[in-house]
Formats: sequence, structure tokens, C-alpha cells
Amino acid sequence: MIARIAALACLLAFPVAAQDFSAGSEAKPWNLYAEQPARFEARVVDLLCTFTGNCPEDCGAGRRQLGLERVADGVLVLPMKNAQPAFSGAAVDLVPYCNQTVEVDGLMIVDPDLGADNIYLVQRIKPSGGDWTAANRWTRDWADNNPDAPGKGPWFRRSPRILAEIERNGYLGLGPEADAAYIKELFK
Amino acid sequence: MQRPLSAAFGWLVLAALPAHAQDGTRVQVSGEIIDTWCYYSGVMGGPDAVVGTAHHTCALWCSAGGIPVGILAEDGTVYTVLKVDEDDQAAGGDTLLSLASYYVTADAMLYERDGLKYLVVGRVEAAPEITNLTHLDYGPVPGFAIPDPAK
Repeated sequence: MIARIAALACLLAFPVAAQDFSAGSEAKPWNLYAEQPARFEARVVDLLCTFTGNCPEDCGAGRRQLGLERVADGVLVLPMKNAQPAFSGAAVDLVPYCNQTVEVDGLMIVDPDLGADNIYLVQRIKPSGGDWTAANRWTRDWADNNPDAPGKGPWFRRSPRILAEIERNGYLGLGPEADAAYIKELFK
Repeated sequence: MQRPLSAAFGWLVLAALPAHAQDGTRVQVSGEIIDTWCYYSGVMGGPDAVVGTAHHTCALWCSAGGIPVGILAEDGTVYTVLKVDEDDQAAGGDTLLSLASYYVTADAMLYERDGLKYLVVGRVEAAPEITNLTHLDYGPVPGFAIPDPAK
């Protein structure tokens, strides 16, 4: 019994952040400064629900930011990014697993200089009893919701919301006149 | 220039913060609305290059794309925004999109967990203009943010 207590005390003496979750990870590197491959089991949670008790059954249906409450240590990981190099977040990919325990694989960002801790890029998701699914739903979801978006190219060049913001305030956010003068100089 | 709708009225008088919030602290936070992923990951460059005017277009892309939006305080602390007033669309919503790159002051409830700080904002005031003119030092970040009008 004393030995068990001593062993537990030793475990507790090590900070949670020191744990290594890279075992079995097949995460593809993005060559980010502070990336670490990380594969772990976690419960998909609605962050607003977690903190405020405001808990819709569907976790916000993709509107809200979601978290990954890691099974091994209870740490709340913030999945900021999905697997697509397309300026896309992770909520759309995770919300089908609202309040479920899943396995995830991806890249953890820990950079004390910037205060980055438990920041995650999720690349694939495996529900209990299911197969791995790539976390790449965002652009298809956007296309399904924006069938009439004009123009060519990636979603962020065609999004009516983004185009409206740029028309109103320019690419720099300083207004159309400042923007036009800068662009003229930039591309002369 | 036109200010975003949410900033055009100065102080927004918004709904009361939830009284039942657990383990939260009422705070007032001031700082720039940023794109958290680019800031933390360095994917587009160093922290000074992924804020302000240089990064404004990318901040719009990431905000509309559902990447968490943050407030970068002057002491370097980043606060992830989960809600503004009654708008719980922190993943791609219009309120946060319209505030990209603006300096704001927010009355909020602060929740801290596992090294990160989260805000549930009840009231926000945005400066009339974007004032962090980083494009003068870095140009557009990423470089392709502003397309060549001749192409």
C-alpha cells in the first residue's frame, strides 16, 4: 500500500504537459516550429457548455468552438485546425462526434514563448468501434452551403462574406482608398 | 473607410453575462482581434508578422474558416473568444469576422484551463480604425493574400 502511494506520488510529481502522446501517431508533419505528433483518446466537448453550462444537444452544430478532453489525463485540448491547408478550423470535422469519446491523431503545438499550450491540429478521427476518418470535411461543407458562390479558385477567394469585407475595407483593412494606393505600389 | 457594423455604434450594449458561470472571473480585456492559429503555429511567419494590416486578409480567411479568434493583449496574453453577446458562432461567425484586426476592449467572463484562457464576451468596443500597420514592415502575409490585379 505504501509502495502504491509512493508510486502515485511520483507520477503526480511530473507535470501533465511532459507526457508524450506520440506513440502510434501517423500524423503528417507541417514543419511548424513547435509541432509534436500526438495521438490520443478524448471526449469531444462544446467549450461554451463546459465553461458556462449552456449546452445544446448538438454542441452548436458547428457554430461553436469544440474541445478535446483527453481521457488519459483530463487535459482540455483546443483543436484549432483541421487537416486541410485551407484556413479551416476543426469544429465542422469534430461536431459529428459531439459528446462522444473518439481517438484523434494530429499535431500538438506547445510553444511557451507564445503561450501556446495544448493547441492541436487534428488530421484524423476514429470513433469508438469505427474506422479512421480524415479531418478534411470543411471545404466540402462550405461548397455544399455555398453552391452559388461566384468565381474560380479556392473557397477563400470566392466567399461572399470575405469578398464583402474586402470590398468594404480593403485587403489591409484600411479602406478602399488606402488599399488601392498600396496595391498600385506593391505591383508596379 | 467604413467601420464594421459591430464597431459602428461604439459601445454595444449587450446582454448580461451569465450569472451562473462556474469558475469564471469577470474581466475587462483590451487588445487586437487576431487569428490564433497563425499566431501560435508560426505557419505564416513570426508573431509580429501575423497581426495587423499585413495579416488582415488572412485573418478574415481564418475567421470565416472557423479557426478560433483571439484577443492579443499588450502583455502578450492570448484570449480565445467563445461568444460575443448572444452570438455563439465563434467558429466562423459574422460578429468576429467584422472585428478582424481591430483593437477592442471587451467586458467578459474569463475561464482558464490547461494553459489557455477563454473569454465569453458580453460587451465589446472596437476602435474606429485598424491601427497596427504591419504591412509597412512585412508586406502582405502571406504574400499571396493580395492578388495581382493584372493577372
